[in-house]
Amino acid sequence: MAIAVLETTTPAAPPSTTRSKKRGSLGGVILWIVLFLLIIAPVGSFLILGVSPRVFQQGPQWFTLTYVRQAFSSYFGQGIFNSLWVSTIVAILSVCVATALAWLIHRTNVGGRRLWTVAMWLLLMMPTWMMTLGWGDLLQPFGAAQALGVNTHWIYGEFFGPMGIVIVLTSAALPFAYFIVSAGLQGLGPEFEDAARIHGAGPIRSLQTVLPIIAPALLSALAICFAETMSDFGVAFTLGYHSHFPMATYMLFNAISSFPANFSVAAVIAAVLIISVIPPIVLQSRVMRKRSYAVLSGRTRAPRRRELARGPRAVATTAVAGVFFVALGVPILGAVIGSLVKNLGIESPNGVHFTLTYYAQIFKPSIQGDSLGAPLLLSNQLGLVVATGTGVLAIILARRLIANPGSWSQRVTDVFLLGSVAVPGVVLGVGYIFFYNLGFISHNVVSLYKTLPLLMLALVANAVPGQTRFMAGPVSQIQPSLGDAARVHGAGRMRAWRTTNLPLMSRVLLWGWLLTFTKTIAELAISQILYPPSQEPASVSIQSYLANFAPNTGTAMTVLTLFEMLAVIGIALSVYRLVTPRGWRRVGFSGVQS
Amino acid sequence: MSETARRAVGVSVRDLAKDFGEKRALDGVSIDVEPGTFLVLLGPSGSGKTTLLRGVAGIDRPSSGTISIGGNVVVGGKTFVPPERRRLAMVFQDYALWPHLNVRKNVAYPLATSSLTKEDRSRRCDDLLERVGISHLSERFPNELSGGEQQRVALARALAAEVGLILFDEPLSNLDADRREQLRIEIATLTREAGATAIYITHDQSEAFALADQIGVLNQGQLIQLDTPENIYRQPATAFVARFTGIAGEFPVHVLGETSKRRAEVSLPFSSGYAIEASTMEKIAPGADLRLFVRAAGVTLAEPSHDEGVCGSIRDVAFKGHGYDHVVDVGDGYSLTKIYSSTKFERGQNVKVCFDTKSCFVMDSSREAKATW
Amino acid sequence: MTTTSKPKNAVRKRFTVLALAASVASLSGVVAIVAASGAASNPGFVLYSSQGYDHASVAAFNATNPGFTVTLNDNSTGPLLQQIQAEGSNPKWGVLWVDGASAFAQLDGEGKLLHHSVPKVKFNSLGLENIPADGSFTPTGLTVTGALCYDSSQITAAQLPSTWQQLASSQYKGLVGMNDPSQSGPTFPMIAGIMSYLGKYKSGSTTRAVTAGEAFYTSLKANGLVVNAVNGATITAMEAHTISMATIQSSACYGAALTTFPSMKVTYLNPSIALPSVIGIDGKQPKLVRQDAQKFVDWVLSPAGQAVMQTGDPEGDSLFWPVITGESPSNPIIPPLSSTHAISTNPYTWGKLETQVNTWFDSNIVSGL
Repeated sequence: MAIAVLETTTPAAPPSTTRSKKRGSLGGVILWIVLFLLIIAPVGSFLILGVSPRVFQQGPQWFTLTYVRQAFSSYFGQGIFNSLWVSTIVAILSVCVATALAWLIHRTNVGGRRLWTVAMWLLLMMPTWMMTLGWGDLLQPFGAAQALGVNTHWIYGEFFGPMGIVIVLTSAALPFAYFIVSAGLQGLGPEFEDAARIHGAGPIRSLQTVLPIIAPALLSALAICFAETMSDFGVAFTLGYHSHFPMATYMLFNAISSFPANFSVAAVIAAVLIISVIPPIVLQSRVMRKRSYAVLSGRTRAPRRRELARGPRAVATTAVAGVFFVALGVPILGAVIGSLVKNLGIESPNGVHFTLTYYAQIFKPSIQGDSLGAPLLLSNQLGLVVATGTGVLAIILARRLIANPGSWSQRVTDVFLLGSVAVPGVVLGVGYIFFYNLGFISHNVVSLYKTLPLLMLALVANAVPGQTRFMAGPVSQIQPSLGDAARVHGAGRMRAWRTTNLPLMSRVLLWGWLLTFTKTIAELAISQILYPPSQEPASVSIQSYLANFAPNTGTAMTVLTLFEMLAVIGIALSVYRLVTPRGWRRVGFSGVQS
Repeated sequence: MSETARRAVGVSVRDLAKDFGEKRALDGVSIDVEPGTFLVLLGPSGSGKTTLLRGVAGIDRPSSGTISIGGNVVVGGKTFVPPERRRLAMVFQDYALWPHLNVRKNVAYPLATSSLTKEDRSRRCDDLLERVGISHLSERFPNELSGGEQQRVALARALAAEVGLILFDEPLSNLDADRREQLRIEIATLTREAGATAIYITHDQSEAFALADQIGVLNQGQLIQLDTPENIYRQPATAFVARFTGIAGEFPVHVLGETSKRRAEVSLPFSSGYAIEASTMEKIAPGADLRLFVRAAGVTLAEPSHDEGVCGSIRDVAFKGHGYDHVVDVGDGYSLTKIYSSTKFERGQNVKVCFDTKSCFVMDSSREAKATW
Repeated sequence: MTTTSKPKNAVRKRFTVLALAASVASLSGVVAIVAASGAASNPGFVLYSSQGYDHASVAAFNATNPGFTVTLNDNSTGPLLQQIQAEGSNPKWGVLWVDGASAFAQLDGEGKLLHHSVPKVKFNSLGLENIPADGSFTPTGLTVTGALCYDSSQITAAQLPSTWQQLASSQYKGLVGMNDPSQSGPTFPMIAGIMSYLGKYKSGSTTRAVTAGEAFYTSLKANGLVVNAVNGATITAMEAHTISMATIQSSACYGAALTTFPSMKVTYLNPSIALPSVIGIDGKQPKLVRQDAQKFVDWVLSPAGQAVMQTGDPEGDSLFWPVITGESPSNPIIPPLSSTHAISTNPYTWGKLETQVNTWFDSNIVSGL
């Protein structure tokens, strides 16, 4: 396996060789130019203000460390410290829970496996602000729980504290860990466990013996859960705020909420968020070295499932159901019921009434002109374009990420992508203003600021890093010899890719597309700062309802948007099933095994 | 000349080199393969045989040198013909069957760019599946097949396009022993029937001997010896070739003198310097201290009362069905393995060990220079 | 049999060239459209506004066929100001229209506003108080921040405090709420006003006033003050009976009373703090744009503009007091302005302290509650 990988990588060759080598490096240059325009320039424009505010007229100094000191003062520093330890706990917790879930779902006959897989995707697509909305609606006095006759007063206070923050953030990070660990498990043949059992290890000990084999997957999951949690805004802004538990992203937001905004301190905080993901990556790459993950080929067999006895099976199924209930069921229940309760949160002397009024109000154009219709349509259009653009770029980057394992270019790409995951959306959004509103660009090259294309670019930039890492795992599992076999048997480069790699990646591409599509619709921070005049996306519309005094209508809008996203997912999956050959769907891809 | 014979193409490799960073995987290898020849490249891991094969296939790009297929330069100077235009086929070690295509579609893949009609393609597929004995599996998918069945599919796929050159990348190494033998015969028969030139790589010397018209032995990126299997076996060019093609044992010996052309008398380091006659690969000087390599086939066992031979005792015996393989200790810590006898000598039994000159080679073991011709 | 025929290759190459050409053409088309959009004869300007009635105002103004178009960039105040600041010396905004004057004081300090842009109308006394000497921004209406909104089903008018200091007494322990100044725009002006009042501030150093204010809010915190993010959250807390009164913005309370919270009533401590909605013009725009912007500002202060302001968001921002003499509020629920004891604060003085005060508030009053 190692030799096969070694011999597909082609390090620097003497100049007498080749057009294809030149083509490869030209492709690399174009790729990095695209990444520069998409991510590096805007984020860099923001970050540089941390030490050089004068670059974008945000202060008199060309170089200063004042803002670095300010960021680590007790006021802002508390937020950074909180984020670091919460992210660490969440990462560890989510990887542990995800590993247990992945093991049960993929390696045992626990009940409801397909349901759990779908539920995990749903969890992945749900934004954290929706989750906290649901929890809040459920637990608040005269909330949804109380409407159902359950008194939640005792837990409400507890929830608005570090405990609730950790619960929601772990729920949000769970899917990332789950899919990465699942991919790792696919390469773990049953023979390792068998060998342990034969040599005297009980079920637990054999598990302990075997898990380190997927250590790279576990570390990768830890790294990405850490990065995603550090950059989360939804929880920090809602739960974190209400719990008086400041987190770095909230402090960043705070810094730029005053006028004049303190972009420089915000830049330092953002830099800390980005840099904080480097230790996990270094740890991960040290363990992974040059290991190949190419396991998916015609020889891949579905791993043997352990048949649990009835009792243990029931226990396992209940445990899995419990996890999903807490992570997903509760917030959805809270939001749905909350949207149906008349005057949620208000004590009513006449008891609880359920109503559909708030749904009726959604599509009524209010005097403000903000019904949900146009914004939702716009958001769907954005989602379509952004998901497609992101998919193309992500595939190219994913291939770069898995080629030449251990090389410096692969490591740079890896750090760059994970660091970009840690960039909060608001930083990207404001950075886009700084860079694309620069005089010489907007007057001499192209004026994109305050246009829909710029918003789309920013949303693509926001989605690409996450989706690339998401795709890299499954793409790396495709055995290189499959493409070689096609070439050798007469297929040109494109046909070889189209007939061998594409079918094997089709599921990954589809789910990646859906992921970005839903993420785009739910995205708030970038949308809010970059949407063109009179073209308000749905997430912004919903927030203004939630923040003003029509929270019930806002909740109803949220629920409706959620179901609309689900409908699109359902349609996409049905179309995929109809359009693709049976063979395409046979190929196991972690998390969506047929 | 029949049509199948006309199909075969020759392959010419000149000074092929390939570097992976600091490591030189191929070091100026030159080979000429006549059309219709079954060439086996034999060597241990890291010897460069896979690199060479992938270079011919076009999957990897050599650092320097030229490759011609059927008289056309495919690699050389600024020229690089991509794999799909080289008109060849390949059977991979891991089968490389596309998991999303069933058996029929896997086999039909090379026919997609052919000028055959749909019916002809279908017929051709049926023929091939029948020929390799898997027509009952045509609708199955690769992960539903055993290793042997998968490799048959890969073989059928390679034969589908009726090309003049078929490459084999250790196709039997992932199979169980019994399947391996079956499939080896299939490969040998079908490739010759198809009239194609074959380049086959393996690290298994018995496989190489069974299949090859010509064997090229590679080590550390260099071609050590290119010859018929018989010559490789009987006249290994270097100690490495001798070792790699199967020896019962090797000992340091003292050369007493040349007895005739390519023969010398040497004294063994055991049995009080018992002298035997051995074959030589080149001129050697009397009094030299060299190394003796002994093929198992050149050793016979006899009762202790036998006149000739050195004394030994049986350390181990293994039943082989048609006879017995013995491990014989000959004293002073030296032993010989895989010594065949149709009758069984028991463990601990004393025997006489006789050496056949043709199967014993004396050479300088530091002589690992590249073959020069 | 595996040779790719030359004609197929040629077709493929041709197709690739065509596809590339089509992409380049469509891309240039996009660029051309984007560029051309800026090339109309009088493109008008972009209005950055957070006002609830801005959609109605812009629609009504554009319908008067002024010869140019006002494009509305409606957003919350925070993102609007972030955009303005990030745009730096290449601004896209022509007119800014938000609640509170401190943002304008800041912009004026940076030299970004057009001076002498105040329309010639008859302002009432509170209106005049909120016009700066250089005429760089104009009040368009008034709400009161620090209105004492209470749930009449939980507490009667007689039981209410009559002074600010009384809010810290034990009978109101845990019953009082307010907004977080770092989240809620109208809240800092209220705090500034309280500081000014408690410190008897006239001019010069604000230190004493700030200290007095800090002491006051510390005492409120000790008395169980509940801080929520914004008006909506505080009102929800009242509806849930977590608190029975709050010192927030008058229009929010009247809006709630008219819709979901009929038992909501409003009274005014002495003093309360006037919060103008303010409009200003970007002085760096080209002359034509500045002229267009002035026409819009003039229209907003005209009877037609004021009428649209009063009907554009009837349960929200339209619940304001006019700054023009002879005009009345849109809804009878709003009492006469004189009954509010409203005072104004100087945004040039207090605007500079916003970050410092908000940070203090966040660290000492909000955190650890």
